[in-house]
Amino acid sequence: MRMLDYALREGWASLWRGRGSSAFAIVAIALAIIVLGSLLLVTWNIERLLARWTSAAEFSVYLQDEATSEQRGAIEALIDDSRVADGREYVSKADALTRFRREFTELASLATGFEDNPFPASVEVRIRPDADNDGRADALVRRVATLPGVADVRYDREWLARIASGLAVVRGTGLALALLMALAAAVTVASVVRLGLQARRDEIEIMQLVGSPIAFIRGPFVAEGVLQGGVGASIALGLLWLGFAAVRAGWGVDLGALLDGDSMQFLPARFCASLVAGGMTVGGVGGFAAARHAV
Amino acid sequence: MIETHHLSKFYSRGLYALRDLSLTVRKGEFVFLTGPSGAGKSTFLRLLLIQERQSEGEIFVNGSNLSKLSRREIQEYRRGIGFVFQDFKLIPTRTVLENISFVPQVLGVPPSQQRRRAFQVLKWVGLQHRMNAYPLDLSGGEQQRVAIARALVSDPVLLLADEPTGNLDPDLSLEIMNLLREVNAGGTTVVVATHDRELIRLVGRRTVTLDGGRVVELA
Repeated sequence: MRMLDYALREGWASLWRGRGSSAFAIVAIALAIIVLGSLLLVTWNIERLLARWTSAAEFSVYLQDEATSEQRGAIEALIDDSRVADGREYVSKADALTRFRREFTELASLATGFEDNPFPASVEVRIRPDADNDGRADALVRRVATLPGVADVRYDREWLARIASGLAVVRGTGLALALLMALAAAVTVASVVRLGLQARRDEIEIMQLVGSPIAFIRGPFVAEGVLQGGVGASIALGLLWLGFAAVRAGWGVDLGALLDGDSMQFLPARFCASLVAGGMTVGGVGGFAAARHAV
Repeated sequence: MIETHHLSKFYSRGLYALRDLSLTVRKGEFVFLTGPSGAGKSTFLRLLLIQERQSEGEIFVNGSNLSKLSRREIQEYRRGIGFVFQDFKLIPTRTVLENISFVPQVLGVPPSQQRRRAFQVLKWVGLQHRMNAYPLDLSGGEQQRVAIARALVSDPVLLLADEPTGNLDPDLSLEIMNLLREVNAGGTTVVVATHDRELIRLVGRRTVTLDGGRVVELA
């Protein structure tokens, strides 16, 4: 405990003494955290949207115009018995036309020129989230598609999977970039801490000669790196929040529409805490590397 | 207290700093190491502080073979040794009291005891009135007294002094030697390296004379 107290006090004093050079390390860490934080902010919001879409998953079974009520009954019975559906709704041809006219008002005139109603009747099925994940929904869709009276089954999950895998690529690339920047930040911290170490050569020599434990000698330099990391990460989060607020103020409505009516959200507290901890770790590693190299 | 057996230290190209030195210093003794520059006095003290390792032979201090100590044991061993250098090695950015309390601080002594013990030794060397001054505000003699106080703050069993009066005039040199004699009177073994023959004569203690890394005279 005394060691920790000593390390933090000396580390802070050293950071303050060399605040000019410490600024470089703090900026380097802040940049790395901003890159990682921005990436997390964007991907996290998109993931929320994907999760919502996934949990609201449904498929539509389009019926042939000549499908009998027995055939429709068989289709609905299969859906009900499958334990995949959370609920279902029958949409008649008339309902489908009404819905089209309501949702696509500019195109409503298109549907007036037909002699017959061109829209097929359908059964819309809401899927239980667990069934969507374990493949039971896919199996049901395949079975329903073979039943008599079924014209088509629409279960467009591919594009969701494509977005998810695209997101994984973006996240991986961003993570690699952030790691590279974190490495550069750690090297900057190590260089800055080494400067402070040179300035305290006499103290270190005395500490070694009086038999001070190695943790007491290295501790302040590790603490200095940790503090630089903490300050850098906090500044990065502050800037990230300001950027987020500016984007939300300027394009909040458009983004809301893009996010399917949901509002854009800042990173949750656990992510922020992780980013600060990450910054402190990068700083600590840099400080430790410098101290280990010199002592 | 200190025993060396055929101790040698040489550097590259066969340059010997110490050669076949066998010496015994008893517990509670006050010993001068003297000789011209390059005789091996400072090298011997550096070997005792384990700042350097010997090339040949063995050194025992309080029964411990110094060449066999692990890193952690070296730290333990050094806690029992005080040291005083010619250039004082005080930290200019810390006050006199902070320079002294720095040692117990970095040894993990509780804060309440750090300053109390530092003040005790500062009082003992007669500089309690200068406790808030910075080293560069002190005279050479005062700085060396602070360095002695720092060496004593952890109650060492052995005090090593390398040319402690090298930067001081004769009166101040004698004052510092008298202080070291008082330290010795308290039971601490003292080894002082100096080339000042007059000072040795005035203090009148056992003297080991080195030249070219060898013992040339024991008196």
